[in-house]
Amino acid sequence: MTERQLPEAFLDLAPYLEWALPTERERRSKRATSSMAQIKTFYDGMLARMDAVLPYLGKFPPENPPPDVQQLFLLATALAEIAPAIEMFGEQTALGLDVLRLTPIDIYPARR
Amino acid sequence: MHARTQEPRDNRWHDRYPHLGTGPIPIEPYVSPEFFEREREKIFRKVWLNVGRVEQIPAQGDYFVKDLDICRTSLLIVRGEDGQVHAFHNMCSHRGNRVVWDAKGSCQAFACKYHCWTYGLNGALKTIPDERRFFDLDKKTLGLTPVAVDVWEGFIFINVDPQPAQSLKEYLGEVGASFTGYPFGELATACFSWQVEVKANWKVGKDAFQEVYHIFSLHSRSTGRMFATPSNPYLNAHELALFDPHARISVPANVAWQPTPVEALAKRCGILTLQKQGISSRGMPPGVNPTGAQDWSFSGFNCFPNGAIFVSEGGFLTHTFWPLAVDRTLWEARIYFPKAKTLAERFSQEYSRSTFLDGVMAEDGGIFEKTQTMLGSGAKQQLYLSDEELLIRHHHQVIANYLNA
Repeated sequence: MTERQLPEAFLDLAPYLEWALPTERERRSKRATSSMAQIKTFYDGMLARMDAVLPYLGKFPPENPPPDVQQLFLLATALAEIAPAIEMFGEQTALGLDVLRLTPIDIYPARR
Repeated sequence: MHARTQEPRDNRWHDRYPHLGTGPIPIEPYVSPEFFEREREKIFRKVWLNVGRVEQIPAQGDYFVKDLDICRTSLLIVRGEDGQVHAFHNMCSHRGNRVVWDAKGSCQAFACKYHCWTYGLNGALKTIPDERRFFDLDKKTLGLTPVAVDVWEGFIFINVDPQPAQSLKEYLGEVGASFTGYPFGELATACFSWQVEVKANWKVGKDAFQEVYHIFSLHSRSTGRMFATPSNPYLNAHELALFDPHARISVPANVAWQPTPVEALAKRCGILTLQKQGISSRGMPPGVNPTGAQDWSFSGFNCFPNGAIFVSEGGFLTHTFWPLAVDRTLWEARIYFPKAKTLAERFSQEYSRSTFLDGVMAEDGGIFEKTQTMLGSGAKQQLYLSDEELLIRHHHQVIANYLNA
């Protein structure tokens, strides 16, 4: 738990840390390969805590947050990533192009 | 404010443009290799093309490479010592090697990997290793070959025609002017960008972003709810307007639409792509919300030939379709944001990114290859367009005009 520690007030979210994935591709792969029951468990658990999570994340600038805050942010981002599966589609993926075919590209200079 | 009802319009958009006719359009332009080659020579090698934004190269020496298969070249776009944006063919004057291999970077000079011929940010040839062994070289004439480049509202356009027929400003004309002043720069300090190669003609991709008739159907599970209403179930546009060779579309919003739980969270801490929040369209340039509708969501600047810029009160996004072959296209999509000040604001942008992936990239992208396969089947020769699909008809007409010029 030393690497994957969450802020003290959010240690109850530790069971969901498998969703704290750093890249779009990893989060999308997990969404595509999880069962809807697994996705719904994470959705419910995370959604119930977002009223506290967002004000907490609102205290930190996006650049180089402490590792525990970054983990919490990645959990929130994973909620954003899976929300359409629950709220729009009722299944893991949209009908159409497999988004894992997309290449995300950071077009801006890295130093920004 | 323009109210929309289920009754048919008294006036059709096509009535304003009788020269376009109302008949079926041919499938041949989507499947013919000969037609594709003519598009390459008569359009893509002649007109201004948007290759990126100035935020990609903010400082002197910043550069990016844009491979333009359709123009049979690779371009090097760089911020010079003079602070201006320059574009060059990415080709060494020595034996033709591609000079820069990275997609982007920052440097003070470009050295060809083959024999280390080195060029300045202004394209001038600076050094030739073992120069004394060459014969009668005039280094002043051996710089990188420049390409016409200009910037409109932070969008970098190039034109590979050595002598472009029009300036960029002339090319963008009235419709460009109608979007000039939208705060593109303020809203573009952060960006999510993707590319994907799809097995479809570039116009199949472009067509999907030239009409909103498909939204009630293709996007019924995702973003459709944001736009269509009981009184406008098929999402008739607020305005369709043609400005040869470009066009503009203005799209209603479903102002009664209730956000989903996670969307409501995201809305609380940031602006969401194409949603009615953030900036106000009031006082914006006339192309942004051209009818002044209260229930306005976004407007599209269909930039001929292969680009589309969509502006809203919740930021802007772009789609660009780069032809690779008659049935292969590199699709570039970019959604822009003001740089997030907090991780909570960043969360809202991640939500926009996620729903954009599902509601646009997956759902719109899903039809491209399926459509192309069937267009190539030979089963049919024509397609049928509604009044709401005026921009597609116009696009075909403009292409025909260029090819026959």
